[in-house]
Amino acid sequence: MELAAIILLPAAASALCWSPFGRRFAAPTTLASAIIVLALALGVSMQAARLGHFDAAHGWLTCDGLGALIVVLVAMVGTTAAVFSWGYIRLRSRHAHADPSKEQNYYVLYNLFLMSLFAVPLLANVALMWVAVELTTLLSAFLVGFEDTPEALEAAWKYVVLTTLGAVLALLGFLILYWGSRVAGEPPFTWLGLVSAAPRMPPSLLWPAFLFILVGFGVKVGLVPMHTWLPDAHSQAPASICALLSGVETTTVLYVILRLFPVVGGAAALDARPWFIGFGLLSVAIATLLLVYVRDFKRMFAFSTVEHMGIILVAAGLGGAEAHLGAAYQMTGHAIAKSFCFLAAGALTAIFGTQEIPAVRGIVKYAPFSALAFVAGAFAIAGAPPFAIFISELMILKAGIDGGHYLVIGLLAFFLVIAFCSILFHVTRMTFGAPRPDTTIAVAPISCGIALVVAAIPLVAIGVYLPSIFQGLLRAAAAAMGG
Amino acid sequence: MRRRAGISGLTMADRILYNLLQVVVVIAFAPLVEGVTNRLKENLQSKAGPSIFQPYRDLWKLLHKDEIVSEYSSWIFRAAPYVAFVAPVFVALLIPVLTRYPLFFAFMGDMLGGGFVLALGGFFSTLAAVDTANPYGPMGASRTRMVGFLAEPVFIVVFLTVSFVAGSTIPYIVQTRWVSPIANFFEPSHILLLIAFLMLILAEDGRIPVDSPSGTFELAMIDRSKSLEYSGRGAALMKWAGAMKLLILVLIFLNVLVTPWGLAHGMGVGEVLGAIPLVLLKVFGFVLVLVYIESSLAKLRLFRITEFLGAAFVIAVIAMITRLSEI
Amino acid sequence: MGMNSSPFPVISALDALTGALFLLTALGVLATRQVLASLQFFIAQSLLLTLSAALLGVALNSPHLFAVAAITIATKTILIPLVLRRTVSAEVYRTREIERVLNIPASLLIAALLVVLAYVIANPVLATVDAPFAQVNLPLGIAAMLLGVFTVAVRREAVPQLLGLLAVENGVFFAGVAIVPNLPVIAELAAAVDVPVVALVVGLLTRRIQLRVGTTAVGSLSSLRER
Repeated sequence: MELAAIILLPAAASALCWSPFGRRFAAPTTLASAIIVLALALGVSMQAARLGHFDAAHGWLTCDGLGALIVVLVAMVGTTAAVFSWGYIRLRSRHAHADPSKEQNYYVLYNLFLMSLFAVPLLANVALMWVAVELTTLLSAFLVGFEDTPEALEAAWKYVVLTTLGAVLALLGFLILYWGSRVAGEPPFTWLGLVSAAPRMPPSLLWPAFLFILVGFGVKVGLVPMHTWLPDAHSQAPASICALLSGVETTTVLYVILRLFPVVGGAAALDARPWFIGFGLLSVAIATLLLVYVRDFKRMFAFSTVEHMGIILVAAGLGGAEAHLGAAYQMTGHAIAKSFCFLAAGALTAIFGTQEIPAVRGIVKYAPFSALAFVAGAFAIAGAPPFAIFISELMILKAGIDGGHYLVIGLLAFFLVIAFCSILFHVTRMTFGAPRPDTTIAVAPISCGIALVVAAIPLVAIGVYLPSIFQGLLRAAAAAMGG
Repeated sequence: MRRRAGISGLTMADRILYNLLQVVVVIAFAPLVEGVTNRLKENLQSKAGPSIFQPYRDLWKLLHKDEIVSEYSSWIFRAAPYVAFVAPVFVALLIPVLTRYPLFFAFMGDMLGGGFVLALGGFFSTLAAVDTANPYGPMGASRTRMVGFLAEPVFIVVFLTVSFVAGSTIPYIVQTRWVSPIANFFEPSHILLLIAFLMLILAEDGRIPVDSPSGTFELAMIDRSKSLEYSGRGAALMKWAGAMKLLILVLIFLNVLVTPWGLAHGMGVGEVLGAIPLVLLKVFGFVLVLVYIESSLAKLRLFRITEFLGAAFVIAVIAMITRLSEI
Repeated sequence: MGMNSSPFPVISALDALTGALFLLTALGVLATRQVLASLQFFIAQSLLLTLSAALLGVALNSPHLFAVAAITIATKTILIPLVLRRTVSAEVYRTREIERVLNIPASLLIAALLVVLAYVIANPVLATVDAPFAQVNLPLGIAAMLLGVFTVAVRREAVPQLLGLLAVENGVFFAGVAIVPNLPVIAELAAAVDVPVVALVVGLLTRRIQLRVGTTAVGSLSSLRER
C-alpha cells in the first residue's frame, strides 16, 4: 500500500499543481507531498531492512533492500530540492521572458519527474521499469531547459537525444534478456525471476544483452565515453534540478545496471567484473582529468558525479560483501553530498549571478553562510573526513586490497587524490581569494538557506553516526547486489 | 553438373546459328527499344511522341548523308565508330539473349571479359572525343570517365556476389543458379543487387538522374557530347552503338540477374525464334520502369553523382554481406 | 541456406524482402539531404516494420504481433508525423542540409561497415539459439539500429536527428518481433506510448530552440565546452 502511495502521491501533487489551485500554491503543495512521501519511504525502508523483500499491488510493485535505499535517497533529495525551489524558482521565473505559468509548469514537471524516479526501483516488471527510466528523461527535458537560454536549450537537446538513444539500445538488451528467459523456462519477467532463471540462460544471449544494457544505460549514468551530455545538462539546469539529476537520477539508473550483476554473474563462464571495473576506472580517470581544467563550478560538480559513478561501478565490480557494502554507502553519501553541493552552488549563482569560477572570488566576505555551505559540500564530495564519502571510499579501497586487486586500487587511489586536490583548489580559491572589484551581489532567497540547513543534517549525520536501522538497510542493499 | 553444351540434339552448326541469330536480334532491335523508350517518355508527359520506328528512319537518313571529317583528327576518330559498334556485338555473343543453354561462343569470355569489351568501345569513343578540337568533346570525355570509374566498384561487387554464389563467372551458368528456385527472387540480397544494378544502368547509359539523354545543351552533357563531331555514317554507327549498349546492359540485367523467364529451353529453331517476342516483352517491361524513373526524377548536379553512385555501391555491398553471411 | 530450411518458406521470403527494404529506408534516413525526404523514408520504414510484424503474426498465429503491428501503424505512421507537423514549424521541413559532419559518400561507406558489424554481433547469437524468423530480423534490426545511431551522430538538423533516434527504435522492434513475439501487450503498449511522447518532447524542444536560437541546426550548437 505504501509503495503505491509513494508513486501516486507525486502524481496527485502534479495534478494539483496543474489545476488553478496550483497557480498560487504549487510550491507548498509540492513540499507537502515530498515530506509525506519521505515519511512513507522511511517506513518502507525499515520494512525492507527487516523483511528483506516484499511485494505489493498483486505483484506489480516490489521492494527489497537496494530498491528501498534508492527510494529513500530520492525522497530525501526530492524534499530538500523542493524547499530550495520555493524561493529560487520564483526568483528565476521573474528574470526570464515573462511567462506567468513558468513556475507552475516547473512544479507540474517536478512532481512527475519525482514520480518516475520512484517508479524505477518499485516497478516489478522489467519492461515497465524501462519505460519508467525513459520517462525520467522525457519529464526532465524541459526542467533542464528551464532557463530558456540557448545554452540551456542546447544542453536539454543533447540530454534528451543522447539518453533516449542509450535507453533504446538498452531496450534491445532487455528484449534479448526476455528471449533468454523464455528459453530458460519462462519465469516472470522481474529481477527476481531473471536471477533465478539466469543459470539456465545461454551465455550467447546473456552476453549481448549485458553489453547493450551496460552501454545503453551507461549513457544515462554518465559513464565515459558516453558522458558528453552530462556536464552540459547538469550545469545548465536550475540548481534544484541539478541536485536531483546528479544526486539521484544517475544513481537510479546505476541501480538498474547493478541489478544486472547478479543476473549475469549467475551464468557460468560469464565474467561481468572486468567490464564494470574497466568502465568504472575509465570514468574516474577521464572525469578527474577534466576536473582539473574546469571553469564553471557547476560543471565541476557534474564531473565529480561522473567520477563517483565510476567509483561505485568499480566497487560493484570488485565483488564481495565488503565492496558491495562500500558501494551502497558510497551511493548514499554521494546522493546526499552532491545534492547539497548543488544547492550551495545554486545559492552562489543567485548571489553572484554567474557560474564561472574565475568570476567568483572571496565568497566568505560577501556571504559567509553560503561560503560555509559551499566549503562543507566540497569537502564532503571530495572525500574528506568526517563525511560519509571518506568512510565509504576507505571501505572500497580496503575491500579491493583484501581481494588482491592491487593495480585497480592503486589507480583508483591515485585518481581520487587528484580529484580531491582539484576540487579543493578550485573551491578554496573561490571562497578565500581576494574579492574582485567589479562583483555585484544579490541576496539569495531565504528558502535556499533553509534548504541548506535541512540538507546539512543528514550530510553531517551519516558521516558521524549511522543508526543501526540504516546500517541494516545498507547491508540489505549490498546483499541484493549479489554479495 | 552436366554442361548443356554437350547434350545430343544440338549440333555445332545449330549452336553457331543461334549465336549469330542472337547478334542479329540485338543489332536489329536496338533502335526499336530506343524508339519505344522515347515514345513512352513523351506519352507519360501527355504528349504524342515520335513514332517507335523513328530511330530506324534516322539511321537510314544518316547512312545516306555525306561524312565530314576534320583534317586535324587522327585515325582514332575514323576508327572509333566501328569499334564502338562492334564492341556490343561481341558482348552479344557472350550473354544469354534467347536461350538458357550456353551457345558456341559462350565460354569465350565471362562477365568480366564482357565488361572489358564494352569498356573498350567506350574507351575508343572517349579518345575520339578528345581527338577533335571541339571544346565540348574532352569535357564530356572527362565527365564520362568520372562516372565510369565511380561505377566500376558497383559492377565488380555485383559480379563478385553473383559469381561467388553461382560458382562461375559465365553468364549462362550464373543465370541458372542465381534465381533458382524462384523463391530466391525475394531474397534480400537479390532485391538489393537489382536496385544497385539498376542505378548502374542509369549511370552507364546516361539516363536521368545522371545525364539527360534528350538535352541539347552541350555544357551539361556527359555522354552525348562524345558524338557531337560525327556526321553521316560515323554518326549513324555511334547512334546505333549507343542503342545497342543500352540493350546489352538491359539484357544482362534481365536475363542474368532478374529472371530467366522467356528464354528458350528447347533446341528447336521454332522455340528459339519464339523466345524473341518473349524477351522483347521483358525488355519493354523494363523500359516502362525506366521511363517512369526518368520522368519522376530531376537531373543531379555533377558532383552529386558521386553520392548517387556511392549509394549504389553501398547497396551492392550490403547485398553481398547479406548473401555471404547466410552461406 | 536459412531460407529454404525454415518451416514457413513463403512468409520467410516475404519477410526477407521486407527486411531488405527496411534496411534501405534506414540508409535513406541517413543519406537524404532534404528534411522532408528523411521523414518520408522514416514513414516507409515504419510501414515495413508493420508489414513484418503482420507477416510474423500470420506465421506464428500470435495476436500479440498483430497488436504490435496496429500500434506501430497508429503511433509511427500517423501520430508522429502529425505531432511533428504541429510542433515543428513548416519552414523547417523545407530546409536542406548543406553542411554535414561527414559527406554523403563517406557516411554511406561507414554505413556499409556498420551493416557488417551488425552481422558480426548477430551471428554468435543465432548460432546457438534459434527463433523462426530471427535469421533475417535480428541482423537487419541491429543494422538498422546502428545506422540510426550513426544518423544521430552525423546529421546536423534537429528533425533528422530525431528521426534517427526513432529509426533506432524501429530497428529494435524489428529485431524484437522475431525474437520475443510474446512480449506481454502491456509492455509493448508502454514502449509504444513512449515513442509519441519522445516525438512530442523533442518537437516542442525544437520549436523552442528555433524561437530562441534562431536555427534548428542543433548539431552545430557547441557553445558549451571546455575552453
